Amino acid sequence: MSQAVKSASGGTSSPLASLMPDASKMHRLSALLTLVLLIIGFSLASQSFFSVNNGLTVLLQTSVIGLLGIGLTMVIITGGIDLSVGSVLALSGVASAMVIKAGLPVIPGMTFGVIVGAACGAINGLVVTRLRIPPFVATLGMMLMARGLALQLTGAAPISRLGDAFGVLGNGALFRVVEMQPNGFPKVIFPGIPYPAILLLLVAIAVAYMLRRRQIGRHIYATGSNEEAARLSGVRVDHTKLYAYVMSGALAGLAGNVLMSRLVTAQPSEGVMYELDAIAAAVIGGASLSGGVGTVSGTLIGAFIIGILRNGLNMAGVSAFIQQIVIGAVVIGAVWIDQIRARQ
Amino acid sequence: MSNTPLVQMIGIEKHFGGVRAVDHVSLDLYPGEVVGVLGHNGAGKSCLMRILAGAMLPNEGEIRVGGKTVTFADPNDAREAGIETIYQTLALADHLDAPSNLFLGRELKTRFGNLDDARMLEESRKVLARLNPNFKNLSDPVSSLSGGQRQVIAIARAIYFDTRVLIMDEPTAALGPSETAMVSDLIRQLRSEGIGILLVSHDMHDVFDLCDRVVVMNKGRLVGAHGIDEVTKDDVLSLIVKGELPADWSARNLEAAQ
Ligand SMILES: Nc1ncnc2c1ncn2[C@@H]1O[C@H](COP(=O)(O)OP(=O)(O)O)[C@@H](O)[C@H]1O
Ligand SMILES: [Mg+2]
Repeated sequence: MSQAVKSASGGTSSPLASLMPDASKMHRLSALLTLVLLIIGFSLASQSFFSVNNGLTVLLQTSVIGLLGIGLTMVIITGGIDLSVGSVLALSGVASAMVIKAGLPVIPGMTFGVIVGAACGAINGLVVTRLRIPPFVATLGMMLMARGLALQLTGAAPISRLGDAFGVLGNGALFRVVEMQPNGFPKVIFPGIPYPAILLLLVAIAVAYMLRRRQIGRHIYATGSNEEAARLSGVRVDHTKLYAYVMSGALAGLAGNVLMSRLVTAQPSEGVMYELDAIAAAVIGGASLSGGVGTVSGTLIGAFIIGILRNGLNMAGVSAFIQQIVIGAVVIGAVWIDQIRARQ
Repeated sequence: MSNTPLVQMIGIEKHFGGVRAVDHVSLDLYPGEVVGVLGHNGAGKSCLMRILAGAMLPNEGEIRVGGKTVTFADPNDAREAGIETIYQTLALADHLDAPSNLFLGRELKTRFGNLDDARMLEESRKVLARLNPNFKNLSDPVSSLSGGQRQVIAIARAIYFDTRVLIMDEPTAALGPSETAMVSDLIRQLRSEGIGILLVSHDMHDVFDLCDRVVVMNKGRLVGAHGIDEVTKDDVLSLIVKGELPADWSARNLEAAQ
């Protein structure tokens, strides 16, 4: 937008320029519109799409991509990328399951998994900032290492029989109303708000607050906008990047626990290619791969677009292969729009 | 002018591979003094300024602030010593607005540690108005501002804080005549407050108008350091181009002294 606004306003203040919503708001608005159109389209295509139950399914599926996407958004705003989140998700889930299987209670066990995720993120951050390896390569390496470790630790076999408590995070819900019927079967009157959705909302609020209202958030934007300028202004650029990668790793760990809890099984092969969905969510939501731009709300919209696209295509009976083609095209389209934006 | 220099740069060297960007340069700056730093493009002016600003580490040499030897590991160290810099590249984060850039790295916070954007906006408004009364686009990303407005933000950032030494690397390059005049007034005012200023400039008129001394760099070396009334514009040009004073300079100066 820079050039366009500059030439339109001739460098001086122009009332028109301030009335126009800025490019990033426009992007989010169009993403929101896309989301609404998708919902309408799929509702017309399939009767069961627009139902409470399917809505909850979408919410559950989206929460994992949403958590990954929010972490990635921070990294992308710094001008980096994190390709390891899908593998870190698996490693964290496996790590939680292993310590819980070994006797640790669920909450400290899951916390351990999140810490493992954060540690993977810290390694990413240190490789990027200390060894000066480009983020793409550094996190690609971590993608392989974390996946390899998850498979090695488990002998590539899922860990099951983790107990009911392990399944609560992924399967429980707030305000669920269940009534016992005379025939002895429970009847769900209101399915409640799934815990993963609540978790996603809490994380989204916390990260949005951090990005908008805290110094580290301002520094994340500054680093991605102009790293050298940020450094000259006294921003600890390396520290800022490290923070973003640690957060991304920790959120991948959290997402891993949500996913494995939902399956009540730790699957070392879960989450393959999830990083692409998460990157797509961030970019569709307006984050710029060249850094300095991105919002949590945009990424949430992007995550819902991806989630609804997958779910709606499923409901409409579109094959998994065609789904891949569609999502791939959507990702290219979103990045293309990002490029056009950057060139203007 | 007092007797203790604000800063002393002693025997500074900086090379990039075989390129001697700064070749054993020494330079003092006293309170209330404006020193013009001149030289061709590539003479090493920006490198010397960046070294003093903590943005670049020298290969050799010593920096003293108020007589004490210091090492600037990063720009924060220099800023804490009261050395503020307006970089030739301006060093602005394009996606952020003017207040965010002005306070970048030194954000004002509320009691709870949140960013105090309201107060930063208010303070920015004040300091920007001092430089350009028509500055209004305070909530636009600075990428959408004109070159002059961007430069004004970079200047405002350098004078807002507790400045004792101001490094200005071609501060008027993107400014129009009225803004340039504003900067000249500002330099005079800062000098009267006892601030020492290093002014890198190509504008001979400004240099002779504002500076107490000139130093000239040529291929990384300091080839001349003179009081402004010891030299003419032609003398300075000769230093810039040939790296030496015209042959008749000492004769002329002896005459003037008599
Ligand atoms: N970061 C750098 N890496 C390599 N060479 C550099 C770097 N910065 C400056 N130089 C070289 O050092 C010399 C002096 O540059 P500079 O200080 O920018 O000159 P000036 O500001 O006087 O135009 C030039 O030859 C330039 O190419
Ligand atoms: Mg220069």
